Amino acid sequence: MVTFVQELVNSLSIASVIILMGIGVTLIFGLTGIINFAHGEFLMLGAIGVWALVGYGFGYIPAVTISVVIVGLIGFLLERGLFQFTLTRPNNGFMASLGLSIVLQHVVIRIWNSFSKSIPEPLPGVWEVGEIRFIKMRVVVVLVTALVVAVTFFTISRSRYGLALRASLADRQTAALMGIPIRRYITVIFTYGSAIAGLGGALTIALFPVTPFVGSEMIMLGFAVALIAGLGNVAGVVGAGLILGLVNGFSGAYGTPEWTNAYTFGLMIMILIFRPQGLFGGTMGPAIE
Amino acid sequence: MATLEIKGLRKTFGGVVALAGVDVTIQSDEILGVIGPNGSGKTTLFNTVCGVYRPTSGTIRWNGVDIAGKPAYLIGRLGLGRTFQQAMSFPALTVRENVQIAIEHGSRREDDAGPRWSSPEELLEFVGLEAFAGEVTSVMPFGNLRRLGVAVALGGRPAQLLLDEPAAGLNEGESVQLVHLLRRAHELGVGICIIDHHVGLMAELCARLVVLHFGNKIADGPVDEVLNDPKVIEVYLGGEE
Amino acid sequence: MAAVRRSKKSMWPSAAALILTTVVFAGVLAFPWLTPGYRALSFAVTTGITAIVLYGMAIPFGQAGVMSLGYAGLMGFGAYTAAILSRDFGLNMWEAMPISALVAALAAGLFGLPSLRISGHHFAITTYVMCELLRIALTNGGKFTGAASGLDLPPIGTVLGVKLDKLSNTYMLVAAFMFISMLAAYCIANSGYGRTLRSIRENEQLARSLGVNTNLHKVGAFMLSGLFAGVGGDLQAYNFRHISPDLYGGATSLYFALMVMLGGPRTIFGPLAGAIIVTFLPEVMRIDPVDSRIAYGLALIAVVMLLPGGVITAVGRGYQRVARTLRGRDAIDGSPDPGASWT
Repeated sequence: MVTFVQELVNSLSIASVIILMGIGVTLIFGLTGIINFAHGEFLMLGAIGVWALVGYGFGYIPAVTISVVIVGLIGFLLERGLFQFTLTRPNNGFMASLGLSIVLQHVVIRIWNSFSKSIPEPLPGVWEVGEIRFIKMRVVVVLVTALVVAVTFFTISRSRYGLALRASLADRQTAALMGIPIRRYITVIFTYGSAIAGLGGALTIALFPVTPFVGSEMIMLGFAVALIAGLGNVAGVVGAGLILGLVNGFSGAYGTPEWTNAYTFGLMIMILIFRPQGLFGGTMGPAIE
Repeated sequence: MATLEIKGLRKTFGGVVALAGVDVTIQSDEILGVIGPNGSGKTTLFNTVCGVYRPTSGTIRWNGVDIAGKPAYLIGRLGLGRTFQQAMSFPALTVRENVQIAIEHGSRREDDAGPRWSSPEELLEFVGLEAFAGEVTSVMPFGNLRRLGVAVALGGRPAQLLLDEPAAGLNEGESVQLVHLLRRAHELGVGICIIDHHVGLMAELCARLVVLHFGNKIADGPVDEVLNDPKVIEVYLGGEE
Repeated sequence: MAAVRRSKKSMWPSAAALILTTVVFAGVLAFPWLTPGYRALSFAVTTGITAIVLYGMAIPFGQAGVMSLGYAGLMGFGAYTAAILSRDFGLNMWEAMPISALVAALAAGLFGLPSLRISGHHFAITTYVMCELLRIALTNGGKFTGAASGLDLPPIGTVLGVKLDKLSNTYMLVAAFMFISMLAAYCIANSGYGRTLRSIRENEQLARSLGVNTNLHKVGAFMLSGLFAGVGGDLQAYNFRHISPDLYGGATSLYFALMVMLGGPRTIFGPLAGAIIVTFLPEVMRIDPVDSRIAYGLALIAVVMLLPGGVITAVGRGYQRVARTLRGRDAIDGSPDPGASWT
């Protein structure tokens, strides 16, 4: 029982990072239609940024803040400089993002190296509740993610601003005719999604060591979660992320760890084929019409 | 002669009823027009008949063969051709290649119906595009694109053609040319059924008119009768140009 | 020019294309005699094998317009089939080849089925994921697949007295296969079948209304490409003498996609150029692999945004412009602009 709860929290912390990725993917893909295969690299940059700053003597929290801001800025520049030109031809954006992910990974390797990097535990120790020991940092990760989810949900999914945003992205022509600044919304969402991914990376490196390739590993899970839930559906990402995080965590502890990703990928393929709008329904389906 | 029998055709999209049970019989020896306000289900009718949508209920018989729910490519192969509301072509290919593809696939039919084309050039001459054979279609003027759409549909050797607003976007002169072209195609033995909003054009070209309104057929008969039908005037013609 | 689709006026390629083809042919054949050294020759062999797979990719991607990021996996099917057949049944490279090709073709058909239901980039992601799934399955396949350490293969052996394991002979063998692939891809692209595939890329709905069974053609195009990948996998397995799952993951598939897009999927030399630029040049010029990858990534972005159709098309257009100026004429040879490929 004790182990079970501990495993639960561990799985939740993994799920949290996946959820952060998934939110970025679902917002960017689902709402703006920009397909960014390099999205995982934002996570990687967030993690590496924190590692580098901590290495220069910054405290963890300042490092996270600066890192997230920088990643958000990079996202902003990429949207303005590259992706905004691919809005009418998303396939181009996809291919360009393939190149981008290779570039970003290898620039990082060029500046530092390809070896794994880690930071000293920012918040070492455990909290004890009765017999159960909660690793403090993992709890923090879960709480931060919950906060981000809540903020995202209420600003984008529920608020009037969010509603206008989603409606206008669903019907750009009408919105443009009404004078709604679609481009600005797209830039905002892209920047936000990228910053969240950066935050995910900043949290990840507090939990595990990270290599420059961590982005490619995480991006597929992020896609999987977003597609399984249904593109554009933030609450769905949380649901799917929790399920997958739990499956991942528990299969790691109890079952067959080598196959964990396989379950996620297999489920994603099944959903894409049999229910392309996702388990919980989304705004933009991948189905051919 | 080829016959298209549509009985009780219903098509719903979620809660929206696009076709509410339509009965129409189309013979290839006549030129039939389909008119009605926007949203009355005209394009949905063509799309459902041609296999782009699956009917919710009802039957569609083409020359006695039940084609309801069959995939679009099979229906095309049976000699039921169509054009689309937006001017469709194969953009990066030349005019000649566009027509060549149509002919290559149209010639796979075993039956004798429909016009035969011995070469892409023959078809291009028929529609008057032979001078543009080497042009890439993505840079062609709109009027030519419309004509190409008809040419491509004809290349498939249809016994019956369903044309969805083939004159949309054309100016006066181009529309007249299109009417001539459709008449000549009809003379070759191709049945013509056309959706359009130019009532004048329809009156001139068609012998019979069908009027749709909110997915229902509200009139079906000779042109003069239909255009003077009070129901039709109230719903569609009254008070307009 | 060297474009796959030529002028409507003639069945045969233009003089310029023939000259270029001869030059390339001669260059490839003469290469070993320039005493390039073991390392360069070895990379040339790998490049040639990669080019075979890329020519296969040109069929569904260049012609039908459907992109798949699973080609490393298909090559893996071919390679592992060859290795297992060798280990368990004693089949040599030649005997295994048709089986490898067939297995990869069937896998390609299977991998390609989702493209009938999901669109472009989502399908691409699906294929990437399927490729990763394959890699996971291979890594965990225990004794059968050799797990993470992989499988070994015997040498290619001797055919008609020619020792094919001698590197310069291996090179010739691979070059032969590469030219056959090039020719096959060319013939397919210039046939009615190729034209039908292009019609699917250009306007699928219109193609269907004309009686084209687009689903069948898409899956068929994938299966054809699988044949090439299977042959490539068989050759690679016997060339490397050792294969392991990490050779056949999503990342490798990405590089294949990069190569084919960079070189240009719809020109006859595009795939070969892509393979040479990405695989051969940096190794031979001793460019740091990290720097070369940064360069490719940037090049791909540049090509996608600025030069649709790949490097070869751009070179071709540049040539045409120069030729026009030199000839002093306005009219070009009448071949249609290859135009934007997946853009």
